[in-house]
Amino acid sequence: MRPTICALVIMCLVMVFLLAARTSAQDNNAGAAGSKVLALESAWNMAEEKADVRALDLIFDGSMIYIDEDGSLLTKAQFLSRVKLAGPQLQSLVTQTIAVRVYGEAAMVVGSYQAKGVERGKAYLRQGRFMDTWILKEGAWVCVVAQSTPLH
Amino acid sequence: MRVALHGFLLLAVLAGNAQTGALWEAQQNRILALERAWNQAVQQKDAKAVEPLLDEELIYIDDDGTIMNKAHYLTSVRESAQHFQHIVNESTQVRFFGKSAVVIGIYREQGVKNGKPYILRDRFVDTWIDQNNAWMCVASQSTLIAH
Repeated sequence: MRPTICALVIMCLVMVFLLAARTSAQDNNAGAAGSKVLALESAWNMAEEKADVRALDLIFDGSMIYIDEDGSLLTKAQFLSRVKLAGPQLQSLVTQTIAVRVYGEAAMVVGSYQAKGVERGKAYLRQGRFMDTWILKEGAWVCVVAQSTPLH
Repeated sequence: MRVALHGFLLLAVLAGNAQTGALWEAQQNRILALERAWNQAVQQKDAKAVEPLLDEELIYIDDDGTIMNKAHYLTSVRESAQHFQHIVNESTQVRFFGKSAVVIGIYREQGVKNGKPYILRDRFVDTWIDQNNAWMCVASQSTLIAH
């Protein structure tokens, strides 16, 4: 019962963020756009922690490409399926924003992340940098490219 | 007469599509040429040649996770400890989103470091923005390919 309520809450939050991300001509400025993509980044973290692929599906463009820490390239479907499998193993995903850049109908978020979890019975802690590229599509911001680079 | 008019309209639409396709192809070739120029300049440690390709607000994430701004990155190009023999991009794809373009590909570097030959392969994403008909790179990130 609890996971269902949790998933519902995340879905509602994502819907609210997506509605907020719908842009009118008046608020189409860099500051507002930056806030919207940052809100979506937060929704992404929450959804990934809970392995809520339905919420993530709304955040990503159909053509989204994800470059993982090992340099492998994943499509949206592959990334969502990985989240579904890895979900119960991920305990927390914390990100820190370093920069947000908005160039008209494109935006980039750069930051660092720390993922904690358990894999094959062993605890792990992964740290790295990420850069997510967002575009404004039919009035809503969607992520088209995301990349992670581990810290060495 | 109506058939002729329909035929003319169809030809006009096809010609328009072909023109748009040719324009995108030209833009794609332009960006890929800039990518090649960038690699060549890095290989020669020619920071002056790299400089005009990069936006002042460039964010560069190296494959060890180091974040650099434009000045820091240019210094790293100039003062690189490696001796580069060959730098090339492979499997590149260019995606356009309005006035921005994203290049995704594999960066392959071959050279000598500390007297030892090496080959490095990174998956990279470069983001270019069309600024008054000039494409400038605003962000670049690399991730080492582990396998």
